[in-house]
Amino acid sequence: MKQKRFSACLCAAILLFPCALTLGGCATKKTVTLRVFNWEEYIDEGGEGSFIYDELHETDENGKVIEIESDIVTRDYMTRYEEDIGISFNKEGNHIIDDFETWYEKQYGVSVRVEYSTFGTNEDLYNQLKLGDKYDLVCPSEYMIMKLAAEDMIEPIGESFFDEENELNYYVNNVSPFIREKFDNGLMKIGGETHSWSEYAAGYMWGTTGLVYNPETVSEEDLERDGWSILCNRDYYKKVTTKDNVRDSYFVGLAILYREELLALDPTAPDYNAKVTEIMNRTDEESVAKVQDILLDMKKNIFGFETDTGKSDMVKGTISMNFAWGGDAVYAMDEAEKQDVSLNYFIPKESANLYFDGWAIPKDENRSEETRQAAYAFINFMAKPENAVRNMYYIGYSSVIGGDEVFEYIEYMYGAEEHEEDTVEYDVSYFFGEGAALLTYEDQLKRQLYAQFPPEEETLRCAVMDYYGENEIRINELWTKVKGETLDAWAIIVICVSVAAIALAVVFVKFGNKIDLKRKPKKGYTLIKQEELK
Amino acid sequence: MKFPRFSRKTLCIPYAVFLLFFVIAPMLVIVFYAFTDTNNHISFYNFSQFFSDPVKLSTIAYSVVIALITTVVCLLLAYPVAYILARSNLRKKSVILLLFITPMWINFVLRVNAIRELMNWIGILGEANYFNTVFGMVYDFLPFMILPLYTSLLKIDPSLYEASADLGGNGFTTFTRITLPLSFPGIVSGITMVFLPSMTNYVVSDMLGNSKVTIIGKFIETYFGTDWHMGSMIALILLIIVLATTLLTGGFKEDENIRGANL
Repeated sequence: MKQKRFSACLCAAILLFPCALTLGGCATKKTVTLRVFNWEEYIDEGGEGSFIYDELHETDENGKVIEIESDIVTRDYMTRYEEDIGISFNKEGNHIIDDFETWYEKQYGVSVRVEYSTFGTNEDLYNQLKLGDKYDLVCPSEYMIMKLAAEDMIEPIGESFFDEENELNYYVNNVSPFIREKFDNGLMKIGGETHSWSEYAAGYMWGTTGLVYNPETVSEEDLERDGWSILCNRDYYKKVTTKDNVRDSYFVGLAILYREELLALDPTAPDYNAKVTEIMNRTDEESVAKVQDILLDMKKNIFGFETDTGKSDMVKGTISMNFAWGGDAVYAMDEAEKQDVSLNYFIPKESANLYFDGWAIPKDENRSEETRQAAYAFINFMAKPENAVRNMYYIGYSSVIGGDEVFEYIEYMYGAEEHEEDTVEYDVSYFFGEGAALLTYEDQLKRQLYAQFPPEEETLRCAVMDYYGENEIRINELWTKVKGETLDAWAIIVICVSVAAIALAVVFVKFGNKIDLKRKPKKGYTLIKQEELK
Repeated sequence: MKFPRFSRKTLCIPYAVFLLFFVIAPMLVIVFYAFTDTNNHISFYNFSQFFSDPVKLSTIAYSVVIALITTVVCLLLAYPVAYILARSNLRKKSVILLLFITPMWINFVLRVNAIRELMNWIGILGEANYFNTVFGMVYDFLPFMILPLYTSLLKIDPSLYEASADLGGNGFTTFTRITLPLSFPGIVSGITMVFLPSMTNYVVSDMLGNSKVTIIGKFIETYFGTDWHMGSMIALILLIIVLATTLLTGGFKEDENIRGANL
C-alpha cells in the first residue's frame, strides 16, 4: 500500500513539474494577457491577400510572382512605422496582432500577449459569453451590442479612451464624423435608462446591404422599378439568392411590405432617416405575419438561401443577382474582375440596412486595470489610419476610420487622372470631412467605391436595425415557418401510417415465430401440447 | 517495487469515465434544457409547442421520408455490389472494395462541394432540390451500407449454397431462403447507419438543396443559435426516434451472426 502511494506521488510530481516551471517563468516577467474574440478572417493576418504583400508582389505574364516597389508601402509603413515604433515589415506582410504586441511594448513598456480567437455568428458569440467564457474584447454587430448591453453583459468604455488630447487615442482622433454621429445618437435602453452606443462600443467596420447584380443579365430598369421586390420578380425565377439568416431576410421582407410608405417619404426632410428607421424596425404581429407571406412567396422564386456560396455563384454566373453585405459585394466584384466578369452593386430606393461591427468589453470582475488599458490600446491601434487601411484591404469591408491615410488609400484604389475619359467627381465629405472628394471612373459609381462609401444622400435611407427585444421569439418563429417544410395534414398522416406499417412489419419479422397465433391445425393433424408429447 | 496490478474491471474505467462525461452528462443537459424555460423553471412549453406546430411536424415527417428514400436507394445499390464482391472469385476483390471506401478518406464537405460543382455543370443545381439532397445523402452514406452487407455476406458458409443446389433449390430460392435471411444482420446494421444520420445531415441539404430543403437537423442548428431550449427539445425528440429505431431493429443483434457485421 505504501509503495502504491509513493508511486502515485511520484507520478503526480512528474506531471506537475512543467506546470510549476511555467508558473515560475511568469513570475519573473510581467505580461498582460488580452483575450480578443473577433469574427473569422476579420483582421489583417498578413501573407497573400494582405495589403503589404499585394502591394509588393505582382504576377508577370508568365504567371510568376515577382517583387515590385510600392510608394505607399515605403512611405507609410517601411519608413514611418520603422522610425516611429520600430516595427519592421517583411515583404510577406505582418500579422497585425504581432505588430500590436510590438507597438504596445514600445509605447507602454509593458509586454502584452494577445489570445486571439474567432467566432462565426453573433449568436455563437452570445452563447459563448452566456456559457461563461471570458474575453476582454469582442466584436459583435450593432444589434448584438444592444442585446449585450440590455442584458448587462458589457461594461461602459472609460473616459480615458475618449481623451482627444492623448495622441495615442487614435480612435477618437480619427473616427469619421458620420460614424461618430451615428454612435452618439444611436440610443438603447438599459434597465430603464437611455444610453448612447458610444458609451459602450467603439466602431470597427461598417457597411450597407444591397444587391450585387450582373448587368448583362439584369436590367437596371427592373432594379429601379422593383427595388427589393425584384427578389420576388418571376422574370428572375431561380436567378436570385438571399441570405440564410433571419435578420437580413426580415429586413428585406419589411422593405417590400412598406414599399409604398417608404417611397412616399420626402428624402429631403430633416427627419427622413428617423422615419425610415422607425418603419424598418417594426416588429408588431401584423407586420410579422405579412412579412412571412412575402418571404414564403420569395422562397418560391429564389435559387436558394445562402451564407457564403452566393459570391462564387455570382462569379460563375449560376445566379445573376444576390443579396449582399457591402464588404462581400466588394469581394465578389474583385473576384469577378479577375475572371473578366463585371458585377455591379445597387442600394434599393426604399431603404437598406446600415450595419456596424464594434468593439465592446464584456463584464469580468477579475479584469485588471492593465488589461483594460491594453484593450483600449488594441481598439486604438486598429483605428490608426494605416492599420485601418490594412484591415480594410484584407477583409473588404469599410473601416469606420476617416483619417487622411484612409482617404488617400481610397483615392489610390479608385482615383482617376484628370486627363482620362469618363471620369466624375465623387463627394465623400460626409465621411472624411470637408472638401473630401475624388475624381473617379464613372463605372465606380456602381461598383466597389459605391459599395464601400455610398454617397451621402443614399446613406440617409439606410436604417440601423435594432435588437428585436422581446419580439425576438416571434421573428424567430417566422423564420422557422419560412424555412421549414409545410405538408398538408393528410400527407403527415400518410407518412405516419407508412412508418407505423414499416415498424409493424419489422416487429412481425422479428417476433413472428414467437407469436402463438392459435392457428387451426392442417387437415388430418391434431394439435397436441408439448407436455403431452412426453 | 511492485506495480499496481490491473484487473479487467480497472481497464473499463477510462471508457466509463468517457461515457459519463461525453455521453450521459450531455444527454442530461439536453433533457434539462428541453424541459426548462429561459428562467430555468420547469416548463412543458417546448414540448407542447413542438407538437402543435405544423411546420415542425411537417419538417420531421419530411426528414423521415428523405431518410427512408436514402436508405432504400442505398440498400438497392449496395446489396448487389456487396453480393458480387462477396461471392465472386475476383483476385483483386480487396482493391474493388477499397475503391468503394476511398471516398470516405476525403473530407465530406469537400466531396459535397465537388458534387455541387458537378450538379451546377450538368444544370440540375437549384432545379431539383429534393432529388439533389437525396443524391448527396446516398453518395455520402453508400459505403456505410456496403461494408456491413459485405461482411455479413462474406461470412455465409459456401457449403450452404451447395446444399441448397443439391436439394434442388434454384437461384431464386437459394437467395430468398439462404442469402437474404443470413445477411439480415448486415442489412439491419446498414439501415441503422444510413437512416439515422441522413435525418440530420443538413450540410448536404444546405449545399445541394440550396437551403431550400430543411431537414430536422437544420432546425436544431438554427434553434441552438437563438433558443437552446427548443433546440434541445427537438434534439430530444430526435433521440427518441433514434432509440425507437434501434430498439425495433436491435433484437437481431442477439443473433450470433451479427458479430462483426454490426460495425
